[in-house]
Amino acid sequence: MSLSKCIDQYTILTGDRSKIKDIMVNRLIECGWRDEVRLVCRDVLLQRGSSKSIPIEQLIPEVTARARTLVPDAVKKELLMKIRSILSQENAEDKADGDGDGDGESDD
Amino acid sequence: MSETGCRHYQSYVKEHSYDTFRVIDAYFASCVNKEAREKKAIHCNCFECGNYAIQLYACLHCIYFGCRGAHITSHLRAKKHNIALELSHGTLYCYACRDYIYDARSREYALVNRKLEAKDLQKSLGWQPWIPTAKETNLLLANARRRLVRPNQTIGLRGLLNLGATCFMNCIVQALVHTPLLSDYFMSDRHDCGSKSTHKCLVCEVSRLFQEFYSGSRSPLSLHRLLHLIWNHAKHLAGYEQQDAHEFFIATLDVLHRHCVKAKSEHESKNSSGSSSTGNSSSGSSSTASHCYGQCNCIIDQIFTGMLQSDVVCQACNGVSTTFDPFWDISLDLGETTTHGGVTPKTLIDCLERYTRAEHLGSAAKIKCSTCKSYQESTKQFSLRTLPSVVSFHLKRFEHSALIDRKISSFIQFPVEFDMTPFMSEKKNAYGDFRFSLYAVVNHVGTIDTGHYTAYVRHQKDTWVKCDDHVITMASLKQVLDSEGLVELAT
Repeated sequence: MSLSKCIDQYTILTGDRSKIKDIMVNRLIECGWRDEVRLVCRDVLLQRGSSKSIPIEQLIPEVTARARTLVPDAVKKELLMKIRSILSQENAEDKADGDGDGDGESDD
Repeated sequence: MSETGCRHYQSYVKEHSYDTFRVIDAYFASCVNKEAREKKAIHCNCFECGNYAIQLYACLHCIYFGCRGAHITSHLRAKKHNIALELSHGTLYCYACRDYIYDARSREYALVNRKLEAKDLQKSLGWQPWIPTAKETNLLLANARRRLVRPNQTIGLRGLLNLGATCFMNCIVQALVHTPLLSDYFMSDRHDCGSKSTHKCLVCEVSRLFQEFYSGSRSPLSLHRLLHLIWNHAKHLAGYEQQDAHEFFIATLDVLHRHCVKAKSEHESKNSSGSSSTGNSSSGSSSTASHCYGQCNCIIDQIFTGMLQSDVVCQACNGVSTTFDPFWDISLDLGETTTHGGVTPKTLIDCLERYTRAEHLGSAAKIKCSTCKSYQESTKQFSLRTLPSVVSFHLKRFEHSALIDRKISSFIQFPVEFDMTPFMSEKKNAYGDFRFSLYAVVNHVGTIDTGHYTAYVRHQKDTWVKCDDHVITMASLKQVLDSEGLVELAT
């Protein structure tokens, strides 16, 4: 199994994924990202004209790229640090348990 | 947006009931327990490409997981299945409508699962969108005029009249009104007063005060009603003398806390026993209220209560006995230390380091060790177990001793933003976020006998104002940081 799948499974199993998701959602609300994306969506809808409604499947790809660039670097950095510290902690615990199965690769 | 889903979902529910939704949501969207997490970790990947993709959908008609986009839609199209559940947010999707759908009953079931998950992982409940109640919807419709708060607007700022040496109260009220969490609570009208006599309830009075502050009026307010209520409830503060602002702060929190508990218990006893008289239960509840300090979930405790850990280490056997105490503020000594070569702290961080340093209790104060069952010399160390949302630091500038009462005016440098991690009991908690930012500083000018209190508070995002009774002036961050500081609040 590839490393990223292994990490996926591990974080789901420990519940860390759910906790990280919560932090991410909170940060994105706090920094105003949510409101900005809401405005971007509104702009797209207004440009299309108010008479026609757009299916969500068309709206998502149009907004996604802009929404991604709007995420502040500080939020990205903080989450990266959190993920790194969680994974290194798990790694340390595994080694202490004595059944380290040699996943010494660094995460990115 | 209708709250009953779409007609496809309604017919789906008629045929299959809510059971599938509830199980899938409990196992793969929320993961209510360890077993669910195991199942999700092993089985929940895209049937097409095998990825644990960012956004997976589960078909609610058969057993199928698929990535957002082509993988899930091709399945739904091929099998003529309509309803799928998006697993990272738990939103329902209808392929026939090509849209996300919202169903009130499903949302209720999902919320139960979210709560179970939060409990199992010992985390707080994730963010939930605000859904106005029927009452709130009617209020919004009835009051169509909205007030837009722009930067540089003074709404939320009002001076407070000095009613004769009441500046100690004014500055604390200014600090409390500018506490973000507290204003959210009161502005959304969350205080549900149990007692009918609202003019006797301090929480109602504070609630009214918040409305006054944000009414848009700019004339100074008079706090005579609040003062009267405090006098009634905290007898030691009654009278026309100047009081200690810090003491007033703690007394106010205490009275508010007691009122919240009382209102809640009255409310509950009313609900449980119909509308029976609550005459003698109120006297009983107020006495228990003061005991359950730190264990209740009233708004004051939710915002201001932290937990202090004190470890007493026996010098003979190294046995540790740990006790926990709730706190509302951290009182910091400013005088010369006696043990470490007479250093005086210069910054807030110095003070905190001193506060959390291991202290030798000396040979005069031997404590019975629970491990080796004998009286031994020991050391004691404080650390912070949990931090409140709002930390208040009290700098002990007034020194009262048998010989002399004096004020310590030494300058203590304090930061705007700081991290409390070094002072926590558990430092290696990946989820801990112990960063704080300053939002209010209460100052005392003058001597111990006579003086005047003012407060600097943060208004909106990064504007600082100085509140000197009825006069409100703009202030710079430098002015705030250069001030002496008696009580500092950070959130």
